[in-house]
Parts: sequence; structure tokens; C-alpha cells
Amino acid sequence: MPVTDGGAARLIRRLSTAALLAMLVLAAAGALASACAQIGPLGGPRPPPVGGIAGWLLTQQALFYRALSGLIRAAKTDGSAYWGLIGISFAYGVFHAAGPGHGKAVISSYLVANEETWRRGVALSFAAALLQATTAVVLVAVAALIIGATAKMMGDTVRVIEIVSYSLIVLLGARLVWVKGRSFLHALSAARSEPAPACSHHTHSHESHDHAHRHDHHRDEDDEESALPWGHAHALEPEDLAGPGGWHRGLSAIIAVGLRPCSGAILVLVFALAQGLFWAGIASTFVMGLGTAATVAAIATLAVGAKAAAKRFVATRAGYGALVLRGLEVGAALLVMALGVLLLTGYLASERLGMF
Amino acid sequence: MLQRFIFLIAGLAGVLAAAGRAEAHPHVWVTMTEELLYAPDGSITGVRHSWTFDDMYSAFALQGLDSKTPGAFTRDELKPLAQVNVESLKEYAYFTYAKIDGKRLKDAFADPIDYFLDYDAKQTVLTLHFTLPFKTPVKAKALELEVYDPEFFIDFGFAAQDPVRLTSAPAACAASVEKPHDDFFPATLRLNKAFASSEANIGMGASFANRIWVKCP
Repeated sequence: MPVTDGGAARLIRRLSTAALLAMLVLAAAGALASACAQIGPLGGPRPPPVGGIAGWLLTQQALFYRALSGLIRAAKTDGSAYWGLIGISFAYGVFHAAGPGHGKAVISSYLVANEETWRRGVALSFAAALLQATTAVVLVAVAALIIGATAKMMGDTVRVIEIVSYSLIVLLGARLVWVKGRSFLHALSAARSEPAPACSHHTHSHESHDHAHRHDHHRDEDDEESALPWGHAHALEPEDLAGPGGWHRGLSAIIAVGLRPCSGAILVLVFALAQGLFWAGIASTFVMGLGTAATVAAIATLAVGAKAAAKRFVATRAGYGALVLRGLEVGAALLVMALGVLLLTGYLASERLGMF
Repeated sequence: MLQRFIFLIAGLAGVLAAAGRAEAHPHVWVTMTEELLYAPDGSITGVRHSWTFDDMYSAFALQGLDSKTPGAFTRDELKPLAQVNVESLKEYAYFTYAKIDGKRLKDAFADPIDYFLDYDAKQTVLTLHFTLPFKTPVKAKALELEVYDPEFFIDFGFAAQDPVRLTSAPAACAASVEKPHDDFFPATLRLNKAFASSEANIGMGASFANRIWVKCP
């Protein structure tokens, strides 16, 4: 349902502004935390500080996580503990994803680099989380239940999966940089050769890369509306996932992000297995995935919204507008690749599975 | 309009920056008691760690290990696991950082000795015991010992009771403990000029570090 009411539009604009502000504060808090983290009495890296939003997220997450083992234990004798387990698993997932992690960074950057709709962002987030939960369950089921592998063997397996996953992120980023870099250069040469109206460059660059807005059910007048959640109210459709770039494109992002199982899920699964309640662990893992997906989807939607707003502004500018937009996409593509390289080389530690 | 655009770009950058902070969050909790070992001449020869893991991690660590009695593990049965643990810990410098008379000690510890794992079947938790010998025994007025994981995958915390013990220490030596979130700093220490100018003041109460101070005047 397109927004026609001016009041609603204003409200949405205000809400998105507030959301952006909140994210800025979060980023600032994060930057501050990182700065503080550099100063330690022993000169070495410092554990993260407790203050700020980051500290609060960490605390909440830790509380939920610590509650999980008690609830799984309780579920053995008390059926009502299952509800608690499901609720806490979801909450843990939400906070887990809100905290540090590369998944949402990759998905958000991917969405900004590509001309994507918010619904595709949501679909990608949920698919990646579902894959992540599935790999955790399959890994523990095969390794622990069938093979009887030790913790060290499982840790080693996760490390291999990790390398594959990070390499995929690098490849995904490299491909985006290639595609987006080329359309940036196109826009650049077009802007230089013919000082014609901006809209012609705009169209030109649209044609040079695959475009999410050419859905036939997007009969909107305005490009921006289709990119935003408030543009359409109807439910997700399978084609949103497939997208105009075809299945493989979205799939590469899903696999790159979702392949490496969450350490927390593996620990919960093994613990549940040891308690003889493996399926409770499986339920917990998938609900955690739902929580994670909810957060990632929200952040992805924000990123798409910000991009769409930038685009709307750019549309009113002559000449350099399209160039700025393409530049933004190249920046996001570079970010995906940089994240992958940092993860692969170990400069960014994502997760460690215990001390093995 | 331009202002708004700049704001939007900043917002977008903010979203990505916030999302990009791929720092860690703990999955392992360790409750520790520490023991400082003294030689007859009053020098400190090593640190004895006792780290109890949370139940979830303990279950993970025990995965795939065989025991004669189901649900119970003897020290012998846990020997290979203890071996893996101390070997892996080397990569992380045993999460143990020492500072002597205000100076950071680099590469202070030799390989662990006397290591073993205990399993508490009632609490279903594992405890790793190991001694880190100083390469050269330390004779100092002030020893500062920190135990933490810089990447914060492991959340170290002191045991509620008797977290630090000095074994056969000279009578004049005393230990105090600084916990995260803890504003506890002895007044004498705070008034001490050298301490006030050291970096230790900077992160006061704002870190997850667990610190042990041993003073031998």
C-alpha cells in the first residue's frame, strides 16, 4: 500500500530519522569503546569496556546465554521450562545479532552496494540465519551424535568452515567491487563527456548493472517507495529472494554469511545432547536463528532506507548525483571485501570455539 | 537539502560502522582462584591457576570422551584433554599478564607444569589446574597480575571466596584483588605518585580485567 497520506509520510520520515540517529549514537559508542580498548595498563589490547550500549548488549546477551543451560536442565523434569527456553533463545538471538558480528555488516553492505529492496534484505537475513542454524544442527548431529567426535575435532571442523566462509565473503566483495567499480567508471566518463541532465546518466548506470527495481509488481511511480518497507505492505514472495540478479547472486551472500555456525548454538546443542534433550537444543538453535534474523533484517532495512533516501536526494541533483550514488555503492562493496580479508587474515576475530 | 544529504550519508556510515564492529562476546565463563607460589628466599616462583568452566562449556569439552563410570571422569581419563588445553593456551599467553614494580614483563612464563583437570559430577563442571612458572623467580615490591582474554571470548571472573592465595609468602606481603566493575582501589595506592601517573588509572572501573596486586614492602 503506497503511502499517500502526508501525515503518515511525515511520521515515517521522523521515525527513520530517529532510527538513523540511534544508529549513529550506537556507532559513536562503539567507536568510543574501541578507542578506550586501546588503552591498557599493560600496553596490550584491552578487554571491551562495560560502559555504553555495547556493554549493555554484552551484559544482556550473557544473561540470556547463561540462562539457557539452566532451562535445558529444567526442561528434563518440567515441561513448562520449554516455553522459557524458547523465549530466552529468541531474546539471545536478538541481542546476539545486535552485538558485534560480521553477518549483518556483510548483509547491510551487500544491500547498499546492490540496488536492493528492503524485502530482499529481510529475505536474505532470514535465509542466512536459517542456514546458520541448520549448519550448527547438522555439524553437531553428525560430529557428536554419529561420529562421537571430541570438542577439538569439532573446533577444527568449524575452523575449516570458517576459512571457506570468509573466503566466500572476499569473493563476494571482489565481485561487487568489480561490478560497481565499472558502473562508477561509466558514470564518471558519462559525467565528463556529456554535461547533459543528470537523469540520463542515471538511466545509463541503471542499465549497466542489474537492478532490483524492475519488478513487474512494483508498479510504483517512485523508485524510493519500492525500496522501503512502507512502500508495500504485502507479504514476502519467493521472487524477492531470487531477485532480478537471479538466485545465485542472493545465494552467494546467504552462504558467505550463514555457512559458519554460531559458537553459542554449537555449545547449546552439545550441552542439550549431553543432557539427553538434543531436540530441545535443536528448537533453541532455530529460535535463536529467528531472533538473529529479526535484528539483522531490521539493520538491513535501515541500510536500504538510508540508501533510498540518499538516492532520492541525489535524483534532484544534476550531474554529480549519480556519481555520488555509484561511489557509495563502490564504498559498500569495498567494505564487504575488506571485512572478508580482515576476517580471513585474523585481524578481525569473529568467534572462537573455546580454547582448543 | 545538502545538509540533509550529509546527515543521511553520515547515518548510513553509522549503520555500517555499528554493524562492522566485529568484536567478540563471551561463550565461555571461567571462575578462577589464583595462587602465588613463593620460594624460601621470598621470591615468587610461579602462578597456580584453578579455572572452573561453566556447565555448558564443560559439557562441550567433555564431548566424545570416554569414561568408565558414565557421568564421571577421573583425572587420568581427562589427561589428554588437559594436555590439549595447556597446549592451546600457549597461543593466548595463558591469558596471564604480569607487571613488576610497574614494568610489564614480556615472555615471563615458562611452559605450564603440574596440570590436570578435575570433573565435579554434581555441578557438572570442569576445573583446569596448572602452574605457570616464572622463567626467573621474581623478587619485587609490587607485582601486578592480570587474567583476561583480550578478545573476550572467555569471561574470566574471580571466585567469590578466597580468589587469591599467597603460598609460603613472607609475612609482610599482602594481596588485594580488583574485579571488573570494582571501584576498589586502596587509598594508599591511589595516593601513590607512581601509581597515579601510570596508565592503570586510565581504565579504572571500565574494563573486564581482573587484577591481583601483591605488595611486599
